Amino acid sequence: MNKEKIPKVASREEWLHARKELLEAEKELTRRSDELARRRQELPWVRIDKEYRFETDEGNASLKDLFRGRSQLLVYHFMFGPDYTAGCPSCSAIADGFNGFVIHLANHDVMLWAVSRARLAKLQAYKRRMGWTFPWASSFGSDFNADLNVWFTEQQQREGGFEYNYELEEPWEGAGEGATTFAAMSGTDPATYVRERPGMSALALEDGVVYHTYSTYARGLDALWGMYQWLDRAPKGRNETGVWWRRHDEYERRAER
Amino acid sequence: MKTETMEPKTDKSEMNPRVVSEAEWLVARKDLLTREKELTRLRDKVSRHRRELPWVKVEKEYVFDGPNGKETLADLFGGRSQLIVYHFMLGPGWEEGCKSCSYLADHFDGANWHLPHRDVTFVVISRAPLSEIEAYKKRMGWRFKWLSSHGSDFNFDNHVSFTKEDEKKNKAYYNYEIGEFINDEMPGLSVFYKDENGDVFHTYSTFARGLDILVGAYNFLDLVPKGRDEDHLDFTMDWVRRHDQY
Repeated sequence: MNKEKIPKVASREEWLHARKELLEAEKELTRRSDELARRRQELPWVRIDKEYRFETDEGNASLKDLFRGRSQLLVYHFMFGPDYTAGCPSCSAIADGFNGFVIHLANHDVMLWAVSRARLAKLQAYKRRMGWTFPWASSFGSDFNADLNVWFTEQQQREGGFEYNYELEEPWEGAGEGATTFAAMSGTDPATYVRERPGMSALALEDGVVYHTYSTYARGLDALWGMYQWLDRAPKGRNETGVWWRRHDEYERRAER
Repeated sequence: MKTETMEPKTDKSEMNPRVVSEAEWLVARKDLLTREKELTRLRDKVSRHRRELPWVKVEKEYVFDGPNGKETLADLFGGRSQLIVYHFMLGPGWEEGCKSCSYLADHFDGANWHLPHRDVTFVVISRAPLSEIEAYKKRMGWRFKWLSSHGSDFNFDNHVSFTKEDEKKNKAYYNYEIGEFINDEMPGLSVFYKDENGDVFHTYSTFARGLDILVGAYNFLDLVPKGRDEDHLDFTMDWVRRHDQY
């Protein structure tokens, strides 16, 4: 830990005074977050008329089929292109989180699926390797990922002008250290790797019609990435220099100190 | 096309869409995005504020019963310098762990693959004897380390267990204020730091809705049209079951 950042050691009374001040800031944050959730629920909807097809463990499925009797669908856009040999490590860390609680969502009128462009057999093998049980569909050959702005063509990448996180991107100028590392860990080149993007989309089914209600990307996923909310409560915080996280079966075994 | 005023706001079970063109949706979405970015920045700011809290040295010796036998608070760090403790509501003699804590606990193992690699050891502590804890842990299939503070002051000192006296007076100090007594056990999270000399410091504790952001399922529900959909229930989490009881 950075020397000048080590907090002072205080009496319980002093600490309590500081803690209560922070508590007010935390409560304000919670209220602001509630307020935003309300605004999100008030977003208008866009009707989806296009027919999307997916490959699932149970066979070929339409977007409507993915709801499985619920009225709400969350799709995690998991970066796993057809040319990857393994799923994106960051998406894998996010998936470690939601794998534990999809059962609660499914019992509260929300089906959560991961959807990726890789072929189903690849997704199934990787899911087995990681020990996950959430449903995962392949959108191979479908426009689904492109239409939801989580996949781009080589030409779009070269020329720019495609939209991610509601902003137009510049022509691609090469990957940073993180993307290069993770591309190699996913068995593909950096350019191919970053043509897939992470995101989360919400859809609703009403009277047999599917609507797109919400999508979030980039740091919009921050609060959905479980491990960070825990680290934000530790004295060192996220404590990051570069991409430190790995797939959960790829961390080196620590020698017991 | 329905308008927003057609249905009462209180009935969250009914979705209340206004169907628009993609262009119109995009305008509303981008407006929301600006507010979301503000919230993310505010969250970062509060996290910085949290890291600047002073620390209090823990002078008392606490001993826990765990899978490796007796361990002190300092032992629980397991070679790391930061310790996060979840105070799980499972009192002595309870038939099963608290339903809401069990819902939270379904989030622990996924995060805990990664926390040790940022110098954080995560453990769960309850006041029930170890044998009762282990039976419930086995039933739920969790991997995290779960210890018993049975017979120790740890839970009381961290304001997550309450005495018969508190109950009689109907007063309890919880979440930094005195309120009505609710239960002998309450949920919370406490964080500790151990320095090079082996001294242990208490850095942070949070309770009640301070735990909200750690409930990933809620953060996900905040994205869907019905939201958490709890307004019509007797209490929040009324819909939640233990994962083997749905």
